[in-house]
Amino acid sequence: MSDNILKVSGLHAGYGAGDILKGMDLELPHGKIMTIIGPNGSGKSTLAKTLAGLLPARAGTIELDGRSLNELGPPKRVLAGISYVPQEYNVFRNLTVLENLKIAREFMGANGKAARVVDERLEELFPELPKHYRIAAGNLSGGQRQMLAFACALTVRPKLLILDEPSAGLSPILTREVFERVARVNRTGVSILMIEQNAIEALRISQSCIVLSGGRVRACAPAREVLGMKDLNSFYLGNASNHV
Amino acid sequence: MLQTTFNGIVTGVIMALPALAVTLLFGVLKFPNFAVGAMMTVAAYLAFALNAQLGWPLAAATVAAALAMGALCIGIDQVTFKPLRERGAITLMVASLGLGFILENVARFAYGNTARSFAIELARPFRVADVRMNYEQMITIAVSSAAMIAMYVLLTRLPMGRAMRAVADNPSLALVRGIESPKVIRWTWFIAGVLLALGGVLIGMDRALEPPMGSNYLISVFAAAILGGLGSPLGAFVGAIVIGVVSELSTLVIAPNYRIGVPLVAIAVILVFRPQGLFGQPYIRK
Amino acid sequence: MISFLVLIGIVICFSAILALALNFQWGLGGMVNFGLTGFYALGAYAAALLMLKAGANTFVATVGAMAVVAAVCGLVAFVTLRVTEEDYFAIVTLGVGEMLRLVALNEDWLTKGALGLTGVPRPFGAVIAPEYYQYFLLALALVLLLATLWFLNRLARSPFGRLVRAVREDDVVAATLGKNVLWVRVRIFAIGGGIIGLAGSLHSFYYQYIDPTQFSNIVIAYAFMAVIAGGRGAHRGAILGAASVMLLLEGSRFLKDVIPALDSDQLAAIRIIIIGAGLIALLIYRPQGFFREYRLRVDFK
Repeated sequence: MSDNILKVSGLHAGYGAGDILKGMDLELPHGKIMTIIGPNGSGKSTLAKTLAGLLPARAGTIELDGRSLNELGPPKRVLAGISYVPQEYNVFRNLTVLENLKIAREFMGANGKAARVVDERLEELFPELPKHYRIAAGNLSGGQRQMLAFACALTVRPKLLILDEPSAGLSPILTREVFERVARVNRTGVSILMIEQNAIEALRISQSCIVLSGGRVRACAPAREVLGMKDLNSFYLGNASNHV
Repeated sequence: MLQTTFNGIVTGVIMALPALAVTLLFGVLKFPNFAVGAMMTVAAYLAFALNAQLGWPLAAATVAAALAMGALCIGIDQVTFKPLRERGAITLMVASLGLGFILENVARFAYGNTARSFAIELARPFRVADVRMNYEQMITIAVSSAAMIAMYVLLTRLPMGRAMRAVADNPSLALVRGIESPKVIRWTWFIAGVLLALGGVLIGMDRALEPPMGSNYLISVFAAAILGGLGSPLGAFVGAIVIGVVSELSTLVIAPNYRIGVPLVAIAVILVFRPQGLFGQPYIRK
Repeated sequence: MISFLVLIGIVICFSAILALALNFQWGLGGMVNFGLTGFYALGAYAAALLMLKAGANTFVATVGAMAVVAAVCGLVAFVTLRVTEEDYFAIVTLGVGEMLRLVALNEDWLTKGALGLTGVPRPFGAVIAPEYYQYFLLALALVLLLATLWFLNRLARSPFGRLVRAVREDDVVAATLGKNVLWVRVRIFAIGGGIIGLAGSLHSFYYQYIDPTQFSNIVIAYAFMAVIAGGRGAHRGAILGAASVMLLLEGSRFLKDVIPALDSDQLAAIRIIIIGAGLIALLIYRPQGFFREYRLRVDFK
């Protein structure tokens, strides 16, 4: 048991020739929320996918609670305690809402069968879900799908939740709703790593902030500090040169 | 006309099983497997060996052949398709074509080209309201329906069935939701093997056993799966019945040997007007 | 022995032409033709029928056969490729090939069905003495093979060739650049079809007797093996691939003498099993083939 739930060192990853992540480091203490911001193409989604195991790390290490994840495939990382919500295509459209919720737990072995899939906590957090149980996820509205994706990620009782742009495509009201729920989930002890374009809203509930640009960490500061900056843009682009 | 429709329903019901196998395999493995016809053939001959040569009752022979075929399919996947998993649909299709040649000719090698039959009592037809049927056809309908119901239960109520649908829906999401895809793939092949074995035996009962018996149905089976929507089990069933009935009805207007033209034209028509079939999802190119 | 080699040489030539066609459609155009056998049969029957029923001479018959197959291929491509999913295209070509085979088998009035067509004339058959004819045919086949090769190479270097490569690389990009992707693909498939027709005509001239059994799965299995062994996209490779595959497998006909216990059906079955296994093994272990394309390096997916 170490201080940090997540520790990333010197991470390199990419899709074809060339790396998108060019050696990045990150430390997330237990129970905290970290927001990652940065321009498009900076590697934010690549980072999320690499942490989830969908992309292999070409160099560097990923440690969850002191345990190295590099050799594990995505399903084993779920067992280890990571849960990832992709930005798009984050629910099974042809399965019903209830099936979506069930499926995340069903393959968790002993952990999975014990408790109810959707326990009281989850019902409390997502009160609108039960009435949609029998509806195919593809027939939900965009906002409802995001909530469902979020709920699914929680059914596995993760230690670390990775959210890729949870507020993407949502109205301002829904956005606020999403962040409120993220904060509530965090209060139950789940550490959260959030990628967001909606920097201000996200930073309001976060403790720390990282700016990713050109595949590297350009800046790292407490969220409050970043929020207080008069010119967020210059911090964003500031010291970082945007050469890819 | 009623007779022809009934015959079409029987054909359709027989095709529903391999059509379902095709659609399951396509959903989970993401490529059309051209070896399914030959797989039916091999399974049918396995049942033949047990039934006509070793004297087992056909039911027992079928069960044994089905289980054997399921296991064989898993093995085939490990050796043939698994090494090619990352290479793209065309490579997998070509490999499946080669596999089909191998399987069909293994049957030919073992049993030659002469037609064989299962060791069962000759059917005595009976009539129901002007339509001639026989006992075997009743069994066929019963077996196929039972298999369909079992599949429905599997896919909707059992975790593995849900996992198969999830992997078909979104493979990478399935991974990050904790689903181990090798396990799902093995189960999919096993189930497909069982379905194909049942289909092969039913064809053998309906017609005869000869090496091309399965491949002859290949286009029709694919037409059924495409009509229903590749990836939709319900669609496979409905599609098969439709193709079966329409094919048979078409013999009233065109020469019987061209029955195969019907599924082909059906595929073309579907592709032009509604590529996702009746129940499929429009294909999203990511 | 020489005779045998000459005859094998002829067979290699038209098999190589067929392999070139597949190579063109698949390796360069990205369209797999699973109905190859059926189109090949179409070419052979078209040539034979034009000569036997319409009294055409061999040249006209060949051109006619090429046109027929090109047209059918073009039509199939046009109807199917409007939905550009390679899976569906494969299934349709499989179906069309099967359909063509059934037509050959069943349309007795046209093709004499299972009995087949006999007495197909040969080019200059009346003019050249029978003892020397096989040499002539070999020379002719070689000339046609080289002509096909030359044609395809010219095509590859032409603006159309660049267009073909651009479409294969990324059809979305090509489309946004205003190129009519569908039309390019139709033309590719049609040109390939014409070449298949040429191979089919040669088949007719060589055997002088055609029936549906000559057009079995072996044809397409050979062609695929040749193309993959040769390295998809490389013309020279396809030819060398065809030669190697043919030699290996025709040579295996001698097995019959070595293993008397097996009957001819079984031997035929073994040969196809070997080809099928060889095909899979090639795909797994040597997908790039044995004869590299040494032009611009291109990524095949």
